[in-house]
Amino acid sequence: MNVYEQVLRVLDSALNLQGRGATFDAATPLLGALPELDSMAVLALITELESHFGITFNDDDLHAEVFATVGSLNALVQQQLDRQAT
Amino acid sequence: MSQRGREALPQAFFVPTETHALPAGQRLCLFHPPVGLPRGRVLYLHPFAEELNTTRRVVAQQARALAAAGYAVLQIDMTGCGDSTGDFADATWTAWLEDARLAHRWLSQSASGPLWLWGMRSGALLATDLLDRLSEPANLLLWQPAVAGKQVLQQFARLHAANQWLSAGKADEESPTRRLAQGVPVDIAGYTIHPELAAGLVETRLKPPTAGLAGTLIWMEIARQVDAELSPASEREILAWQQAGWHTRAEAVVAPPFWQTVSTEDAPALIQATLAAMAASAPRPDTARLT
Repeated sequence: MNVYEQVLRVLDSALNLQGRGATFDAATPLLGALPELDSMAVLALITELESHFGITFNDDDLHAEVFATVGSLNALVQQQLDRQAT
Repeated sequence: MSQRGREALPQAFFVPTETHALPAGQRLCLFHPPVGLPRGRVLYLHPFAEELNTTRRVVAQQARALAAAGYAVLQIDMTGCGDSTGDFADATWTAWLEDARLAHRWLSQSASGPLWLWGMRSGALLATDLLDRLSEPANLLLWQPAVAGKQVLQQFARLHAANQWLSAGKADEESPTRRLAQGVPVDIAGYTIHPELAAGLVETRLKPPTAGLAGTLIWMEIARQVDAELSPASEREILAWQQAGWHTRAEAVVAPPFWQTVSTEDAPALIQATLAAMAASAPRPDTARLT
C-alpha cells in the first residue's frame, strides 16, 4: 500500500467513515466540508497519522490549509516522512 | 432492576481532603466492593480533561468486571474534575497526586490484598508518579498509556488549534503552550489549564520507579485491526521496565479508540484481556524480586 492509500485508510478509520474514504480523491475537500471532521476528530486524525506512520508533526506545519483536501493532507504526511528519512 | 443488577452498582460517596496544601473540599469516589474471595485492591486514575468523560463507560464496565472477579476497585475524580470540588482551573499535578494518595489511603483502610494502580492515558503517568511516593509496592495496569506529559499537553493544545482552523480564523495569538510556559492560564476546549498543571505535566514521564520492589506491569494498547502488534514506541517503553526487573505483559487489543470521542462504544475484548492478564499475573508485588 502506498502512502496515499494509507492516508485514506487512516482518514477513514479515524473519522469512522465506514469505507467512504475509499471513494475520495486528492481534490476531495475535508475541513469544513466533511461533517465528521470536528475539532476532536481533527485531533484524532493527527494522532492516528502520527502513530500509523511513526512520525511526529511539527506544530508549525499544522494549520487549516493542510486539512483542506485529501491531497494537502497527503502532502503533509509525505513531507514529514521525507524529512524523517534524511 | 434485578437484585443482582443493583448489587453490581458501585457505592458513590465524597471523601474530604486532609491536607491544607490543596484546594480544600471533597472528592467524589466510586467504590466497587469485591465479590467472593478477595484478590486485591485496584485504584483507578483517570485521564486528562475531556477524556475523563469519554472513558467513563468502558472504565465503569471494567471496574464492575474486576469487582465481580474479586478485586476491590476505587475510582476518584481528581481536583476540578467530574463531581469533585473545584474548577479545572484550580487543578495542579501536585493536587492530583495528593488526591491519588488520599484515594490510596481510603482503599487501604477498606480492602486488602496486592495493590494495582490502574491508569488510563495520562492516568498512567499519575500512577507511576504515585508509585514513587508510596511506601508499599504495587503492580501497574496501564491502558493506552501516555508516555510523556509533554505529549499530553501538546495534543490538548492542538485541540485549541483545531478549533481555530474550523472557525476559519488564523491563529493570531501566541501558542497555548508558550503562554502556559510564561505562567499564563489558557482556555482550551472549555477547560482552563493552570500553568502549574502544565509545568507538572511537562516534567512527568513514564518510567520505572528508582526504588522499591519491582512488580507486574500490564500494558494494554488499543489496536484497530486484528493481529496488530505493539507499536515500536510501546516496545521501547516496556523494555525499560523489564530492565528494571519488572515482570511485563503487553498486548495489542482490538477496540475502538473510545477515549477520543463521546460515544457509547464498547470494548469487550479489552475488558476480557485485562481480566485474563490480571488473573495470569502470578507474581505478587510482595514476592517479586529485583534482578
